[in-house]
This record gives sequence, C-alpha cells and structure tokens, in this order.
Amino acid sequence: MLEIKGLTKHFGGLAAVSEFDMNINRGEVVGLIGPNGAGKTTIFNLITGFVHPSKGQILFEQGDITGKATHSIAAKGIVRTFQQNAFLPDMTVLQNVFTSCYLHPKSGVWEAIFNTLGYRKKEQQALEHAMEIIAFLGLDFVRNELAQGLPHGYQRLIGIAIALSASPELLLLDEPLAGMNANEVNETLVFINKIRSVGTTVLLVEHNMRAVMKICDRIVVINFGRKIAEGLPQEVKRNKDVIEAYLGVGEDAA
Amino acid sequence: MSKVAKSVKPLSCTVLILLFFSIPLFTKEAYLFHILITAGINIILATSLRTIATTGQMSLAHAGFMAIGAYTSALLVKKLDLSFWAALPLGGIAAALIALLVGYPFVRVKRVYFAMLTLFLGAVIRLIIMEWRGLTRGSSGLLDIPPPNPILIPGSLSIVFDAKIPYYYLILFLVLITFLFLYRIDSSRVGRTLLAIQQDDFVAESVGINVTNSKVFAWCVGCFFAGIAGSFYAHFIKTLTPDSFGVLQAIYVVVYMVVGGRRRIYGAILGAFVLTLLPEFFRILKEYQPFVFVGILLIITFFLPGGLIDLPKLGVSLVRRLKGPSVSHA
Repeated sequence: MLEIKGLTKHFGGLAAVSEFDMNINRGEVVGLIGPNGAGKTTIFNLITGFVHPSKGQILFEQGDITGKATHSIAAKGIVRTFQQNAFLPDMTVLQNVFTSCYLHPKSGVWEAIFNTLGYRKKEQQALEHAMEIIAFLGLDFVRNELAQGLPHGYQRLIGIAIALSASPELLLLDEPLAGMNANEVNETLVFINKIRSVGTTVLLVEHNMRAVMKICDRIVVINFGRKIAEGLPQEVKRNKDVIEAYLGVGEDAA
Repeated sequence: MSKVAKSVKPLSCTVLILLFFSIPLFTKEAYLFHILITAGINIILATSLRTIATTGQMSLAHAGFMAIGAYTSALLVKKLDLSFWAALPLGGIAAALIALLVGYPFVRVKRVYFAMLTLFLGAVIRLIIMEWRGLTRGSSGLLDIPPPNPILIPGSLSIVFDAKIPYYYLILFLVLITFLFLYRIDSSRVGRTLLAIQQDDFVAESVGINVTNSKVFAWCVGCFFAGIAGSFYAHFIKTLTPDSFGVLQAIYVVVYMVVGGRRRIYGAILGAFVLTLLPEFFRILKEYQPFVFVGILLIITFFLPGGLIDLPKLGVSLVRRLKGPSVSHA
C-alpha cells in the first residue's frame, strides 16, 4: 500500500532521515519506534507532505506522492495526527469533527453560497458522518464542549477524531498515547483496534513500548534517521542493536 | 427557546430592512441621507474586510482596493462611455483581479507580516494613482464623474440620480447583496473552512483543505466588494483624489470591524454604522476623529473585547452581578 524508497531529508548539514526504506501492507498496524530525535516525526512529515524530501520516493497505491501538497495527499487517503494536541480550539468537539469532514462528501464553494439542494444533502451527510465518528470514539457526552476546555485525554482523542473525519485509508498516529494515564491508554488501544477492524491501515509512532508490542503486527526501529531493525514485535524486542539504541552500550558489555 | 431565537433573527432583520427602506417616507433631509449613504459604503468595506480576517489575516490595503474599484469604474465611464451599471461590477472585478495577482505570494506570509505587506500594497496602489497622471490626473484629481445612468422603464419607472435618495436606495440594495453573499459564506461550509484555517492551518491542511486556495479566495472576495464600494463612491462623490484612499482610511475600516465585533458579520455592520454616525452628531468628534477612534478602540478592547455585539451579554452579566447577593440570600 505504502512504499518508501531511499527517503532522505537534510536539514542544513544534519541528515534527519537517510536512505530510509519501508513498506506498509493494507490492513496492517505498523509501529515506528526509536529514541527521541531519531527522525520518526520527520518521516511522518515527509509522508504527509508537510516537509519535502531531499531524496527518495514515496509511493501510495503505486502512485508517486513524493513532494505533493499535504491536502492532496489527504485526498488520496493518507491522514496524520499530531504529536502536540492539535485541534480547532474555539470550536466545540462536534464542530471540530464536522468542519474536518471536508473531503467526504466534498462540496463546491458556489453550491454552498447558493445553498442548493445538493449542498444541503451533503451537509446532512457530513453531520451524520461527524456524529458517527464522535460516537465511535466515545466523545458523545462532550460533543458540545469547547475543545480547548477539555482534559488532555479527550484532546488527544479529538486529534484522532479529526483525522478519522477525512476517512483515511492509511492513518498515521503520532504518539497517540502521550501523557495519558493507564486507563486512557487502554481505552485508546481499544479504539485503535476498532479503527483497524473497519479496514484502516495504521502507522504508529509511540514511546509506550508495552502498548506498541501489544498492538503492532510489525515494528520498524530507527535511530539517527536510519533503520536499524524491522520485524515482529518479539524479534525486535530481542534485537541487539535495538537494545543498544535504547539503553546505550555499557562499558562492560563491550 | 432556541426555536424562538431562530425565528427572531430573520424577523428582526426584515423589520430592520423595512425600516431603512421607509426612512425616505418620513424625511427628505439631504444631510441625513449623505451620512446614511456613507455608512452604507463603510458597511460594505467592514463586512468584506471581515471575510478576509476570518482566515486570520488582517488587510490594511482595503482603502487601496476601494481606490482600484473607484478609479476603474470612473475611468471606464468617463473615457469609454461605458454605462455605470457595467462599470460597477467591473470595478469590483478589477479589484479582485489585482488581489488574485498578488494573492498567492501574499497569503504565504502570516499574521502581522501579512498586515505589513498589505500596508505597503495600499501605499503602492496610492502611489501608482498619484504618479500615473496621464490616466488618473494624479493629485489634482479626477473630476466630474458622471452619476449612474438613469433607470428608465417606459410607462412605469424612472429613477434619475439627481438627489441623495436614489443613491440611498442603490447603496441599500448593494449592502443587501453584499450581506447576503458574505452571510452565506459565513454560515456555510466555506466559512467553517476559513475559520478552521484561522484556528490551526496545519490541522486544516491535514484533513484535505487547500489552505492556500481558501485564503486567496477569501482575500479576492473581500477585495471584490471593496472595489464595488469604491465604484459606488466614485459616482456618488463625483470627485476622486488619491488622498481619499490613504492608510488612515484603511485603518478606519479595521476599527469599524473590531469595534463592532469581528466574530459575527452583524458586528462589522454595527461597527461601521455606529462609527460613521457618531462623529456626525458630535461636531467635535469629527475634528478629532483619530483621537476619538483610538479612545473608542481602547475602551472596547478593555471592556468589550468581543465588540459592540457583546453589549447584551455584558448587560446580562452586569445585572446578574447586581442581583447576585440577593439571590444567594434567598
């Protein structure tokens, strides 16, 4: 589904990502892990067009999306969430999701201004879609609250709700569990499993290793912008390079 | 409750419109109509500026785009003998085209830097008008701009623009059109999209909104109506000089919008209306207009940050605060 070949990004003299290859198959949940500053978020930014690569190629469903604009990549079906809590602060939860239902159904500017019958039908569809997503993520009872006033855990979920309203085929989650308590982590994992069960492919960046090991089919490990390991969770867990990258090399171990 | 509120809004709008349409039945005072017409022009400017501001970008070139509309329309009528009724939309289109021309590089620049760019753009437009003497007669001004061609329907209707009242009806009509168009933008998905861009453009872009195109759209629509206002102004005042379109004029439009309240389109209308009428009733306010506007702006930002449209809300909370202790006693 997604094919990344030789992806490289330099920021000045620093290679944030270099010669990175990865494949994602339809229906998988793939984990992308690595120490802080390893280049995980840069890879997200490169895939979704927020940052353009210095070298390399990104193919989605056999089509080249390298260097395309973020909005057209979203229209093709790749949508990401953000590491920080990103949403529309002065809108209610429902308005956040309703506004984000922009691509499906898509309506034109002029039919909206002239308030045509077709436009009103699409608005109704978008509202229903938004309500479905809100119910799906259990945000029903806060749907009329302003997003900026909600606790952190809900705000993380709003981020996911916004991404889901673009009906992604490939969903990129950037540390969805960051700052959550154990309860919220478990709930969110249930949601991620539900998202996958409706056929959405997921690429997950996360520092919570227990969660990653539990939920991912496959894990890719990077350090200093390079891939150092790839495989099933159990394989990766035992990989010497991975343990080194996370724990460092002890004097006596060497 | 909300159902009542829903029917109150269109009702009060209709009453207000009827009221304004019927003013000429009660008085023919030319001075009053002159002020009301000026208020109408300012309402179009403030509401259209607000559409640009919805995306989070403040334009200080609105007087400049008004000038483009004014000069385009006046020159088309004077030099090419075009009818005013064709020149009016062309004035708006000219402004929108110039806006489109600079739009794509401009909207890449955000917040205060965008405001600075537009400030320079306004100055450049004025400078071009000043220096292109062969066309615009520079600072000596464009004089004797003809009034709109009379509307003649044989046997039933003849409207000649020889007094204030026909102009008054014309601007009323233009304000209504502008309001309907901008209101539809505001209350539809288009407005939601613009608001999303203002609140977080990365989130907007990530769900598939073409942020650049949307910003350029809002910018061009805003400038189009500034051009329309300019065209009307040219054929109403009949004399154009570059001095009528300076920086101060552009800032006044911003003040109308902020004082009235930028959250809703009614705010921009109210602000433009109140601030146009106020100085006319107190002579001294007119002489020291910049001072007065600064004062009003300060008062509003401190006590009514949401603008004049929040006045009822403020009133309610004041009453509550006064009643507060007695309620807790009971």
